[in-house]
Amino acid sequence: MTLKLDQSWQAALDKLKTWARLNSPWAIHFNSGSCNGCDIEILATLTPRYDVERLGIKLQGSPRHADVLICTGPVTRQARDRLVRIYEQMPEPKFVIAVGSCALSGGAFRGCYNILGGIDQVIPVDVYVPGCPPRPEAIIDGVVKLLAKLRGDNPSDTPVVFDPDSAGEAAILAGEDPVEDLAHAQREEEAIA
Amino acid sequence: METDTCLQTAAELLAPWAQETIEPEPGRVDVVVAPGDLVAAAHALMDARWGYLTAITGLDPGEEDGRLEALYHFACGAAIVTLRVRVPRAQPAVPSLIGVIPSVSFYERELMEMFGIVVEGTPNTDRLFLPEDWPDGVYPLRKDFRMEQLGG
Repeated sequence: MTLKLDQSWQAALDKLKTWARLNSPWAIHFNSGSCNGCDIEILATLTPRYDVERLGIKLQGSPRHADVLICTGPVTRQARDRLVRIYEQMPEPKFVIAVGSCALSGGAFRGCYNILGGIDQVIPVDVYVPGCPPRPEAIIDGVVKLLAKLRGDNPSDTPVVFDPDSAGEAAILAGEDPVEDLAHAQREEEAIA
Repeated sequence: METDTCLQTAAELLAPWAQETIEPEPGRVDVVVAPGDLVAAAHALMDARWGYLTAITGLDPGEEDGRLEALYHFACGAAIVTLRVRVPRAQPAVPSLIGVIPSVSFYERELMEMFGIVVEGTPNTDRLFLPEDWPDGVYPLRKDFRMEQLGG
């Protein structure tokens, strides 16, 4: 079904959709060959110590219910088709966050006979979070950067990379909104850690 | 001392089939046996309750050597005895130890897919670790393996 709206209504609707999307990005996590180090950090991000669910980020069981695909590990030959299938099952618009050195480039496994390389060898990646493994703060910052990009603060289509020196830079964004909340939470966590 | 006793016992047990005995480092003994004698040698260790099989590994000394090796590592405490079986690269085949050690199946499947050494008489010859779309006749742990062999 296509709804034909005049421009102002369409703009309002888009705004509403973006608002909803920013408020509650639902994620699915897939390991395409990781050593589990990054997976544990993602779990640490989701579970009560960091508890990103309070900010609307929720892990989904099915790719059909997810907006964000969080990928860990290099892509093995065996996992390639599975990764593509999961990506294709997600509804548009969809976003991919690659977490960890291996997801970025293949890392320690690069050049191995059963490895294809990083996630971006197989599917397009929006945010790269380096680290072996990245800390939960870095993963949260990756989500913050993705949301900022979604909102249009980062107009370029080039992927964004987590930079530990400017962690929480998204916090300079004005006003109260989910991106700010997340960045604030992240700063809090950093203060505790 | 106990380790030395273990190694001495093993050397005595394996003496009838040993073509060569090497001591790569303290606490280890490598015994070279012919492919035909492997089952008998393993039987001798198992019947005497000398330790257990810890792993089977492969070794590719390079194409110019013309051989491949299958290494059967047995451990008893800190002592390690390795049965080295040298097979021709052109027709690498070793007999299966399934009749002596039933749990050997996984190791033998791995040896087959990684080194292309045929294990004669092993009940399951399916791939264990390699991807489903892996081409036949390509063995990743051989020295002459190249990524180009896998195609796109």
